Amino acid sequence: MIKNRQTKVSSILVLVFGLILFYVGTDGFTAYTAESARVTKLIEDQPEFPDVTFEDSEGRTYSISEFKGKYVFITFIYTGCTTICIQLEENMSQVYDLIPSEYLGKDIVFLSISFDPARDDPATLDKYKDLFKSDGETWRMARIPEQAQLDTLLKKFGVIVIPDGNGNFAHNSAFYLVDQQGALVDVMDFTKVTEAADKLVNIMEADKEE
Amino acid sequence: MTQFLFGLFLLIGLMLPPVANLMESVMIVHMHMQMPMLVIAGFLMARIFQQRFPQFFAKYNQNGVPGILLFIIIIAYWMLPRTMDEALTVQSVEIFKFISLPFLAGVPLRDSWKKLSKPAKNNIITLFTVMFLGMGWLYIQSNAQLCNNYLVIDQIILGWGFITMAICMVIYLIYVFAVDPSQYE
Repeated sequence: MIKNRQTKVSSILVLVFGLILFYVGTDGFTAYTAESARVTKLIEDQPEFPDVTFEDSEGRTYSISEFKGKYVFITFIYTGCTTICIQLEENMSQVYDLIPSEYLGKDIVFLSISFDPARDDPATLDKYKDLFKSDGETWRMARIPEQAQLDTLLKKFGVIVIPDGNGNFAHNSAFYLVDQQGALVDVMDFTKVTEAADKLVNIMEADKEE
Repeated sequence: MTQFLFGLFLLIGLMLPPVANLMESVMIVHMHMQMPMLVIAGFLMARIFQQRFPQFFAKYNQNGVPGILLFIIIIAYWMLPRTMDEALTVQSVEIFKFISLPFLAGVPLRDSWKKLSKPAKNNIITLFTVMFLGMGWLYIQSNAQLCNNYLVIDQIILGWGFITMAICMVIYLIYVFAVDPSQYE
């Protein structure tokens, strides 16, 4: 009888251990993939946008301070991508259309950053931007010519890019929102267009009232 | 003793950085070769623990239930897409993998399996069949990248790997239910 009790105790211990293991391993049963864990952590940490030099589709060069005082809505892409980026940019363009034009360019700027600087020169970006009716001003497309700077940014914002050996890249996708001071404040699901647009409009309106 | 040494060498071999890196570079090898081999390493080493601490196993794993529960928990944990990813990016998770799979899954499996009744064994296999089918479905149908370190195509291959294993277990279960060995003796 006593032996049975010990086995019962160890069963319970094992179950408690399992519960703790899963609780810790999934951040309290919320993040089952590394991607969701990454997003939770980013929103908590709010990293600063690092000092990088952009070169946009019109050949202009500037740093993130170009957008000081404005929100920046960011995606990471490469123009040679035939799958997810197209969907990502398509969704970005839908968000763009949902934002009242009074805010565009004044309170918020859309920015698509290429992580394939070798191929995405200004001319290529210029052609690519027309596909999504980006105007190159309130929605800009830019590359970061300096690989070291690009890597810093990708690392800071948790963008994982794996070249697949055929000139393509596998990468995680999301909408990133950087605030007026250049801090990352939100990472949004790029498949939820209206949700993202509503969020942006709410932020703009709240800022206006202040 | 020889078994223990085999298990130990297997574990050490798997832990060598070049071997580990190579196996982890392919998703399905990581999940369906490296991880089971770690369990096997523990399974081989278990004998010596059973001989050294017979009291402990007899007392705390009398009917085999706690051990098999621990085995199921550890295996289920390593099936999460996140743990696979973090084993590659977070050092402590990788170390935990090399400890938990042999010692918290392999060792209890060996001690528990013999103690379980036949229906209990079949239930465990059924449970894993269902889990494997579920994981297979998850990895195949998901268009999104579940693991940041692997390509979607690797993910689909892994999904089919799960389904294949599940099919094998189903065949075994059908055999167990349909064939009565005593008729052939």
